[in-house]
Amino acid sequence: MGEEKGVRRVPYLLDFYPLQGEEHTRIHPFFTHLTEGRLTTTRCKACGEVLWQPRVVCPHCNGEEMDWIDLPQEGELHAFTSVTVGAPMGMEDDLPFVVGIVKLRGTGLKVLARIDGASYEDLSIGQAVRLKVQPLEDGRVWFRFQV
Amino acid sequence: MRKVAVVGTGLGKWGVRSATLKELAQEAGKALFDDVEGLPREEVDSLLVGCALAERLAFQSYVAPLVAEQLGINPTRMLARTELACVSGQSALKMAYMAIATGLSDIALVMGLEKMNTPDMSETQTSMACVLDREWEGVNGMTAPPYFAMVAQRHMHEYGTTQEQMAMVSVKNHRFSATNPYAHFPKEVSMNRVLNSPSISPPLNLLDCSGITDGAAAVLLTHGDAAKEMTDTPVFIEGLGQAATGNLTANLPSLTSWPTMRRAVRDALKMAGATIHDMDLAELHDCFTISEIIEYEELGLAEKGKGGRFIEEGQSDIGGKLPINTRGGLLGCGHPLGATGVAQVVEVVQQFKAQVPSQRYVGGEWGLCHNLSGNANNHGVVVLRRGS
Ligand SMILES: [Zn+2]
Repeated sequence: MGEEKGVRRVPYLLDFYPLQGEEHTRIHPFFTHLTEGRLTTTRCKACGEVLWQPRVVCPHCNGEEMDWIDLPQEGELHAFTSVTVGAPMGMEDDLPFVVGIVKLRGTGLKVLARIDGASYEDLSIGQAVRLKVQPLEDGRVWFRFQV
Repeated sequence: MRKVAVVGTGLGKWGVRSATLKELAQEAGKALFDDVEGLPREEVDSLLVGCALAERLAFQSYVAPLVAEQLGINPTRMLARTELACVSGQSALKMAYMAIATGLSDIALVMGLEKMNTPDMSETQTSMACVLDREWEGVNGMTAPPYFAMVAQRHMHEYGTTQEQMAMVSVKNHRFSATNPYAHFPKEVSMNRVLNSPSISPPLNLLDCSGITDGAAAVLLTHGDAAKEMTDTPVFIEGLGQAATGNLTANLPSLTSWPTMRRAVRDALKMAGATIHDMDLAELHDCFTISEIIEYEELGLAEKGKGGRFIEEGQSDIGGKLPINTRGGLLGCGHPLGATGVAQVVEVVQQFKAQVPSQRYVGGEWGLCHNLSGNANNHGVVVLRRGS
């Protein structure tokens, strides 16, 4: 807010968010796709395994060639809880907040994320959720899910 | 391969200590050298230090030589630090075991320690959140309590485990820690108190969780022949097991089944030539009440899903099937990450030497220690046997 885009606001060793630019990481397309509203990951060209998180080397077959594929943006809660105290730095103002494991629709893939749009008491296992792209103040981006 | 025995133990006071990392090391070191009275420090040829988060919590690297200086020892064979989050201490013990078994070391000191309380608790929480994959999971505010809360939620959902059953684990372990002057929480707690303690991450309340604790623990290891000259009651390391899978929470096949624990237990018992039913006591990693309940199941003491019944029936208490966590566990003693795995071994050795208060004395011949880390993806097991 009012700061130069792309400038980190906290010391590097207290900054949770991944460095996202091409100069920092080989999976930078993930973050570009996310800004476009797409949740994506890599699929190994050689063996066809869908890898989460995105990889540059396949842990199954050692393949190095990957396709970027779109993941479903909807899923259901496999497990969830609320963080009511003891938040890490930068998250204290969000307390209490919900975190959960989301099973993506039609896949065996699960992802862990913040869950927005409902309090812990209102949720149950199996609750439908959908992707929410969360822009960060410094120009980076992250994903959450929402009810 | 040579036999390896624990011949001495040392503990400092655990808690929110007005003491630095180095001072914690000095205290546990003093207790150890007092226990093995007459041992010249020059004879300690190796030092293995288990410490998980010194860089983050004490702004300190190069921890093993730092500890050597505090203890006044100058290792001539092996000097190293192990980092494996909550299993850092047991990993140091394993390295010392290998050094002695192979003949590389004759006398090795193992110290586990952690300074966890800092002037800024949110900075401590930030550091704890980098134990999981920081970029993909810690970033969502995931630390141990919310992770194990989801484990508890799934166990309740899949098997009908109750909050009361979980609370019983805390009541039992605090009853033991009330006999332990080194414990962070040397006080009994009632069911009501556990059930009504503040919510941390539902369904886990404060007293379902182990504390953020400063502490250190030490053991001295030597080989079989030397052990008998150093103590009347050497305690032999008969079995070791370890198994791990993946790291990303989202990729774990199950939150409520821990096959890597099953594997580590099986391998350690096989190496020892024993079964779980031979054990006289066990120290299990009760970082949260739900953990101990799942561990009953993965040890084969209870059927899958029946861990809650096991505590309800008093089977993990003295007089039950297998007394568990007589020192008070992580729930009662607190959990200084690097120190816990070593302190578990200290309890079994002190039990065998009848060095513990009568209220929690079990004694016996066989003991098992189980230490887990991260999102319960990694498990380590040590099987100990009292020598004559
Ligand atoms: Zn592949």
